[in-house]
Amino acid sequence: MFDSFLLESIINGLLLGGVLALLALGLNLVFGVIDVVWICYAELVMVGMYAIFFLYVYYEVPLPGAITAAVLGVALLGVILHRFVIEPVLGTAPINQLLVTGGVLFFLQAAATLAFGIEFRNIGIRMPVVEFGDMFFSFARILAFATALVGVLLLWLFLTRTYLGTAIRAISQDREIMPLMGVDPRRIYLITSAIGGGMAGVAASLLVLQYDVHPAIGLSFGPITFMVCVMGGLGNMLGGFVAAFIFAQFISVGGYLFQIEWGYVIAFCFFIAMMFIRPKGLFSR
Amino acid sequence: MHHHLSRRGLLGGASALPLVPATAFGQQREIKLGVIYDYTGPFAGGGSLASAIGTKHAIDMINERGGVEGHRLNAIYADAQSRTEVAINEMTRLLEQERVDIIMGVFSSAHCVPMAQRVNQQRRFMWANVCVASSVFKDRNLEYVFRAQVHSDQFGEASCRFVAENAQSRLGKPVRDVRVAIIYEDGPYGAGVAAGNEATARELGLRLVLKEGYAATAPDLSSLVTKLRRERPDVILHTGYNPDITLFLRQSRELGLRWRALIGHGAGYGQIDRLQQTFRQDANYIYNVDPVAAQLLNPASLAPGLGDVTAEMVRRYRAETNVTEVPPHTSMGFNQTWILLTDVLPRAIRNHGGFTPDALRQAALATDIPVGGTIQGYGVQFNPPGHPMAGQNARSTPVVMQYVDGQTKIVWPEALKTADPVLPLPAGHAYAAR
Repeated sequence: MFDSFLLESIINGLLLGGVLALLALGLNLVFGVIDVVWICYAELVMVGMYAIFFLYVYYEVPLPGAITAAVLGVALLGVILHRFVIEPVLGTAPINQLLVTGGVLFFLQAAATLAFGIEFRNIGIRMPVVEFGDMFFSFARILAFATALVGVLLLWLFLTRTYLGTAIRAISQDREIMPLMGVDPRRIYLITSAIGGGMAGVAASLLVLQYDVHPAIGLSFGPITFMVCVMGGLGNMLGGFVAAFIFAQFISVGGYLFQIEWGYVIAFCFFIAMMFIRPKGLFSR
Repeated sequence: MHHHLSRRGLLGGASALPLVPATAFGQQREIKLGVIYDYTGPFAGGGSLASAIGTKHAIDMINERGGVEGHRLNAIYADAQSRTEVAINEMTRLLEQERVDIIMGVFSSAHCVPMAQRVNQQRRFMWANVCVASSVFKDRNLEYVFRAQVHSDQFGEASCRFVAENAQSRLGKPVRDVRVAIIYEDGPYGAGVAAGNEATARELGLRLVLKEGYAATAPDLSSLVTKLRRERPDVILHTGYNPDITLFLRQSRELGLRWRALIGHGAGYGQIDRLQQTFRQDANYIYNVDPVAAQLLNPASLAPGLGDVTAEMVRRYRAETNVTEVPPHTSMGFNQTWILLTDVLPRAIRNHGGFTPDALRQAALATDIPVGGTIQGYGVQFNPPGHPMAGQNARSTPVVMQYVDGQTKIVWPEALKTADPVLPLPAGHAYAAR
């Protein structure tokens, strides 16, 4: 017998996958090029959400303007993060880079608490309900899904069809040789950080339509985004993209067929199993 | 005239200080209170901060009145950051380094369960203000931990009894046909309330169609919402904190979930001003089971003077936060502190020789406050050692409230009712079953 609720769960899983894929995109790009994991990535998203909230609600900037400003602001934050936090420890052991970005995570959480308080805030926009037959879907999620697809496509075009993109890919493949060929790695790293930050800003603009903003919002997404990236192979953008949808299906369909907590249990078990079978990620070569 | 004091003279003088009673210098003796709440992290906005403010104001008011039996209260406030390991570390610091006499406060049951165990093992004294999980006390025979607050089994029971009593008259069906779903955050608090829900629902014969827990930090509840839609509950009994409640309400609207009544059980549902900011009219007619917010009670039904205490609590809270709606959490944080500082602690000092853990324990066990003797209406008498809930107040009771057009009404129990419930949700409401 046809179960429309199951089909709805599968499609909702796809849409959740879009949200996770969007989050994973920037993190993967930064790791792929600079070889540094921004543990604080979800906190950059949080900063972007606060920026949109304050611009839209308090300063009455129209939403597209608020989103544009937030994307640019978080891109700038990405540059600052690289210039003042990552760059001084670039040549050191990877654990140092992990620790400093971990430090930034706690710094941003604490700074947001001090600056904005512990209030849960939202921009108060009611998104339309999308009804199809007996099934319902979140319009904000559909937007996130479409944005993730467009984002991946644009990023792929940028990396494969532009000179700068080619330089970024070249640096990510060989950090030693490329400077000898006239590519300035420092500039490439700054541009990559700006794009990575900008992607966090884009994710923020879609999450702010679905979630309240509060200083601890990163806790809901940070760990899962990191796992998606690891499962897809850190730095592998296509891998991360596919892993996001696999992960989301486990959560959504697993949660529907069993208990919602079981969805996460199954997803994490799959993650652990994959770490044994393909420790470098689903699409490692 | 100049006095030239040598370093040796200063040290010599200082060394003699402990031999001189502090009162000889006109100073008061002090009682150290270690107050732990979540001032940051998701629990802070979910009610912990409102509780902490209530507790602080109670301590301030007692100090302004001259302290307790001549002792000034020295409160050290610690932030558990909404994390259990931080709560335990802070508790250890307060007990071992600050040498506090009493550990108190605590919003989250997830923190409360391990903290109570450890304090009891160390034979120190803990006064739990806000956390509600029955599992803090159930079958643990705690000797040095006391809680005047309502416990989670009572939360779970109250909502089911309210539904059963209104099934025929307002939902138009017998109790056995009322479809009930229980959803909850899966920590000790949510699981505790849900267990109370389930036990009472089965006892009363309500038709339980779904019972499911989830992590409070879950980024997605859409599969839970889809399942609820499949099961078509008349009533949803929900226990959660703030981020998950707003996520649930938002995803329910987007995914077409409807109901005839949504009954929350404290925590995030106690913060109606926040829910109204987010959902505006959609938050209308939500129910909340909680110990009553003191300002909703008729002062004439309470012991003389308590109405003034409540008025002062409300005045201070509004002055500090600039909000008009004072949540029940403020009353919980304030009331438990007030009971400790005006009843138990003075008796410990007067009748049991001070404020050692044993003196405090004996004083707590002798507590006998009748109904109407606290600002939240209920009385206080602690279950004795050997009782399955030893240390828990046997006289506490919650109420069922409903938020109607920005005002909080008490709709259960009958004796305290200030309005009839709006049940089922009126047609035209965003969540009304069609």
